[in-house]
Amino acid sequence: MADSDSIAELITRCALRDERAFARLYQHTAGKLYAVALRILRRQDWAEEVLQESFVNIWNHVSEYAVQKSAPMTWMTAIVRNRALDWLRRPNLERGSEDYDLLVEAVADDAPGPDLLLGSSREARALAECLEQLPGNQRQSIALAYVNGLSHAELAQHMREPLGTVKTWIRRGLEKLRGCMQGAPA
Amino acid sequence: MKYLNDALREALAAEFALGTLQGRARRRFEHSLKDDPALRRIVAAWQDRLAPLNDSVVPVQPPARVWRSIEQRIRPASRRGTGLWNNLHFWRAASFAASTVVVLLALALAVWAPTPKPHDTMLAVLSDDQSNPAITVSWQADPRGAERLRVRVVGHAEMAPDTAWELWMLPGGDQKPVSLGLITTHENQTVTVPRRLASAINHASGLAMSVEPKGGSPTGLPTGSILYKGLCTTM
Repeated sequence: MADSDSIAELITRCALRDERAFARLYQHTAGKLYAVALRILRRQDWAEEVLQESFVNIWNHVSEYAVQKSAPMTWMTAIVRNRALDWLRRPNLERGSEDYDLLVEAVADDAPGPDLLLGSSREARALAECLEQLPGNQRQSIALAYVNGLSHAELAQHMREPLGTVKTWIRRGLEKLRGCMQGAPA
Repeated sequence: MKYLNDALREALAAEFALGTLQGRARRRFEHSLKDDPALRRIVAAWQDRLAPLNDSVVPVQPPARVWRSIEQRIRPASRRGTGLWNNLHFWRAASFAASTVVVLLALALAVWAPTPKPHDTMLAVLSDDQSNPAITVSWQADPRGAERLRVRVVGHAEMAPDTAWELWMLPGGDQKPVSLGLITTHENQTVTVPRRLASAINHASGLAMSVEPKGGSPTGLPTGSILYKGLCTTM
């Protein structure tokens, strides 16, 4: 991607209401964001709706981004994930049992498997190292929750453990992750 | 609801970013973010921490209809602004011959240059209370001091008669706003930075615009409503 087309610059131009920049932002990022939505929602029609709403959201709130410190792609991904998670938790949402079969395929084994292939950035390496230090159950439940959007209840069902156990795994796993990453070497 | 316990704040922010905070608890937490910038920062830190989990995502091309729907929904807002931009949309919709449109677009872009200059390193997006951006200000934060600010007025550009728009630098902390002079409603304009403010502007926390009587504030401080304000950020 050319320097002049960096995500950050495109977002800045969107704050200036440059529609061409917004179109280029979509071109560069929609594929990844659509895939993020699909991993959580597992349905194309839902993912399309969420992607559409997210981009409209991004356009409408782009001036707020300027004061955040997160990487622009992280900001955009968070918008998509939040929208997808809210979508999933709507009352009366039909979610078939075949979704659980799909989720079984996505299960990580004891080591961070290919599903969790993280990039090579400093942040990615720090997260990978710290995830590896977690007990397998904690790592697995955190990965399934983030990547596939499983709720506590769905995790308990999938991992065949009591709800309380799964909640503890998540809570302890997150605490350990933070401790590890705050002390992680540069 | 204000979450006062630090450990609780951290735990809730983590589960919010992870996605396991749900239902009413999630909605309550989201609502409390609005007035709690410190909590927003904790959430952002967790989002950053977990973000590499998205690295393995293989992009999937969404259907073309998604972009078309997005374009439709943002278009009404984009109709505000100069006549030239409105005309571009009209001409595209009227299906002129492709070559004609290309020539017109090229002319429009050459005249218009909507982006900040490539070497500008500081930006402030001044928005109203509903976060609608109205004015953007960009400049080059030269170590010797900034010389000029590039100001672009987007959105509405109406000035009531016998009033003036004054641009203010907000140094931050308890310090009072300092005037940067008057601006007009012109879409693209340049403001010369007063010499004594040339270094200070690079460290300003924000900029603001107020409506003053014709000729500017008589007191040296904003006397009218501050319509738009925004934080300064490094690009």
